[in-house]
Amino acid sequence: MNFNQSLSLFTPPQIFSGQLPQGLRVFLVNKPNLPLLSIHLVLPYGAEADSPGKAGLADLTAEMLTLGTKKRSALQLAADIDSLGAILAAHAGWDYTSLHIVGLQEDWETLLTILLEIYTEPAFPGEEFAQMKKRRLAALEQQKDESPIVADEHFQTAIFQGTPYDHPVYGSLSSLPQILGEDIQEFHAQNFLPPGSCLVFVGSLEEEKLLRWVEEKFPAVKDRRWANYAESPYAYLSTRKIILIDRPDLTQSQIRLGHLSLPHNHPDYLPFAVMNYILGGGGFSSRLMQRIRVELGYTYGIRSGLEPRKNRGPFLISTFTPTETTYACVREILEVEKKFRQEGATEEERSEAINFFVGSYPMKFETLGQIAQKVIQMEVHDLEKDYLINYPKRIANISLAEINRAAREYLHPEEMVLVIVGQAKKFRPEFEQWGEIQIID
Amino acid sequence: MNILPNFTTGKLANGLQILIGEDHTLPVVSYQVHFAAGSRYERPGLTGISHLFEHMMFKGTKEVGPEEFSRIIQANGGTLNAFTTTDNTSYYENLPSAKLELAVRLEADRLQNLQITQQTLETEREVVRSERKLRAVNTPFGLLIEQLFALAYEKHPYRWPVIGWDYDLKNLTLEDCLEYYRLFYAPNNAVVVMVGDVSAEQAYRLVEKYYGSMPPQPRPRLVIPPENTQRGEKRAIFKKVAQVSAFFAGFHVPGINHPDLLALEMLCAVLAAGRSSRFFEKFEKPGQAVEVRAEVGSPPFFTMDPGLLQIYAIAAPGTCLATLETEIWREVENLKEQLIGDAELMKAKKQLRAALLRNMQTNFFKGLLAGLYQIKTGNFQQIYALLSAYAEITPADIQRVARKYLRAENRTVVTLVPVSQREHETLGELA
Repeated sequence: MNFNQSLSLFTPPQIFSGQLPQGLRVFLVNKPNLPLLSIHLVLPYGAEADSPGKAGLADLTAEMLTLGTKKRSALQLAADIDSLGAILAAHAGWDYTSLHIVGLQEDWETLLTILLEIYTEPAFPGEEFAQMKKRRLAALEQQKDESPIVADEHFQTAIFQGTPYDHPVYGSLSSLPQILGEDIQEFHAQNFLPPGSCLVFVGSLEEEKLLRWVEEKFPAVKDRRWANYAESPYAYLSTRKIILIDRPDLTQSQIRLGHLSLPHNHPDYLPFAVMNYILGGGGFSSRLMQRIRVELGYTYGIRSGLEPRKNRGPFLISTFTPTETTYACVREILEVEKKFRQEGATEEERSEAINFFVGSYPMKFETLGQIAQKVIQMEVHDLEKDYLINYPKRIANISLAEINRAAREYLHPEEMVLVIVGQAKKFRPEFEQWGEIQIID
Repeated sequence: MNILPNFTTGKLANGLQILIGEDHTLPVVSYQVHFAAGSRYERPGLTGISHLFEHMMFKGTKEVGPEEFSRIIQANGGTLNAFTTTDNTSYYENLPSAKLELAVRLEADRLQNLQITQQTLETEREVVRSERKLRAVNTPFGLLIEQLFALAYEKHPYRWPVIGWDYDLKNLTLEDCLEYYRLFYAPNNAVVVMVGDVSAEQAYRLVEKYYGSMPPQPRPRLVIPPENTQRGEKRAIFKKVAQVSAFFAGFHVPGINHPDLLALEMLCAVLAAGRSSRFFEKFEKPGQAVEVRAEVGSPPFFTMDPGLLQIYAIAAPGTCLATLETEIWREVENLKEQLIGDAELMKAKKQLRAALLRNMQTNFFKGLLAGLYQIKTGNFQQIYALLSAYAEITPADIQRVARKYLRAENRTVVTLVPVSQREHETLGELA
């Protein structure tokens, strides 16, 4: 069947952007079809700013902002948020920290007041801090039972070793006890509203009212030299690394395989993304799914993906398979990748992938969260001003040669980090021929 | 602001029901086909067939090769998937509205012309068994929840998991699948829903064009035994390797058509929604528990037949589970003894209203809301009354439903007791 008629290119909703006199950048996207409003205060640093040995510092500091201000106790704040039917969340990610509140449009002023208050007048109550750490430690203990999470964490730590990204954002069992209340207050003061901070409004909004309010009430961006915590590009790990985490009680192995890829604003990022769709990102359209699930039946699901980041993010293939097929599964994955790298994609695969990216683009603008995410990435990842408008055209023009070059240049099947959580003793001998193995109990 | 589209309804001569909601915000549409097929329609020995069959629906027709369905939809800018629950099996494509006809045509094609073979069944059987290991056996609490339902229900099909028992999965035959296809995948057993940038009239004509010639099928003869009233607490212990202990409890509550469900949903919000909720304040905040939740589902995911309101707790390391459980039941008793204050009720109401509004952002959810209410109750119009029904709930309603349903005699509790690797090995295989 031939269903390939070309699709018209979609123009995303208009983004109004400007800079307030106090130096804060503001983005507004009006989406009036539901009475909801989402507001992000975005700060241009994330967990890469954690001090050595204090993994989790940026994220703990962000969460502490939601646990009490000089005007409201933690409980009062939580009750006020819940009474609005709103959600308040503050997290550090990689490269940025966001304080986010989403609620009903009718409460816009209260939502903004709370967001400003938690940022400018936090109380950092000692008891709240102690309880938060206790909660995190308990959650981390419990997560040892979640084999997909264990696999992800080990993979991330291994591929980013030696960079500011080499630790868990949430903190670890060893780092959390090292973080003290003073660290939090100092971190907050030191990083307060640096250049590059911005406010993002999406939803049913009255631009002028919001801008007037923000201009009147928000403090000025700190006028100082601001160096990114992870400014210089870091070295590429160019050896294979095998880490097996022994979990004798599991009947299936969690497999993670990958290496570093490209920064989001790299000119080859989009060709790499299209290439990835064909290799393993496109579900049943992908070569990995066809081979590993459909033909071999080794797994229920397999995917490869890349994560958009300011600096080089991970390229990751993830799947799971019964203990007995673990080695065969990994071997076959690498075979698929090697073959793809050598032979390249076909013109049919290219056109299908491009149709998917272009055709599904409008659906990336359905929810307030999706739109805010796009705006934040554009700003934090230094994408070109018209990135979102030009995106469909840019994708549509990606050639087969670009895709195949991306595969040759940026896929490194011989230099992968391989992490497996499962019955390590059963499949370890088969992997020994591949080199040194690190076993973690 | 009208947050729900006014659905245009229609029905073909063969019994196929059609719901169309226009929303021209973006040039996209969600196309959904919901079948009255799910684990409640199964019988012992054939558990899991509804879900396994959902996988088989991707195995191709005369025109479309195995797994090619997904490739074609994606190559036209769409995303797609399917899911099976106790009460329905649903297929959907979210795609550019210019491609609507493609989705209609492909869905209609596999409803009439599916080609499945022994070989495709064998591959998919293994894939599903692997999925079961992923979702139940190798997760911290999957088997516990299976045990909870198996214990709480003695007769009704909700006693087995949607994915089925492994032994049944191993023994399902091609004939079973073909029989299931014939009986359940009929136009008179389905609801088609479209939400998005479509004209109701044109969309209706498209469905008529591709489904109109299909004959209706005789309805399957179903005997779904109702559950006996529970007359005393049931308890079980489940041992596995784990870092922390936990319990999962279920209370029998009515199905989707019963007005008490919304009050129960609100009761769950009072107990566990948000950081000012009773459970968070008392148990999670001080680090006594990793998680304490109360859940009964939300529109449109309430179960068709009487389901379980679940209360579960994952203890923090060092917490005594028995004490934690006692304290949790104390909190539940408080709801029966004291009327909740107006402010707390107002808060829960606003939370539920805002949550529904947040979900309403996508065409996909709006389609599910209408389609699942239609397939489960035969009356999707109920969705228009949801927001006003929340608004009418009183403190006395919360107290009444707490007293009526959250009784120890109506409760089933399964406790996870962590064991060492050595003890785990002496206990035998996890299945």
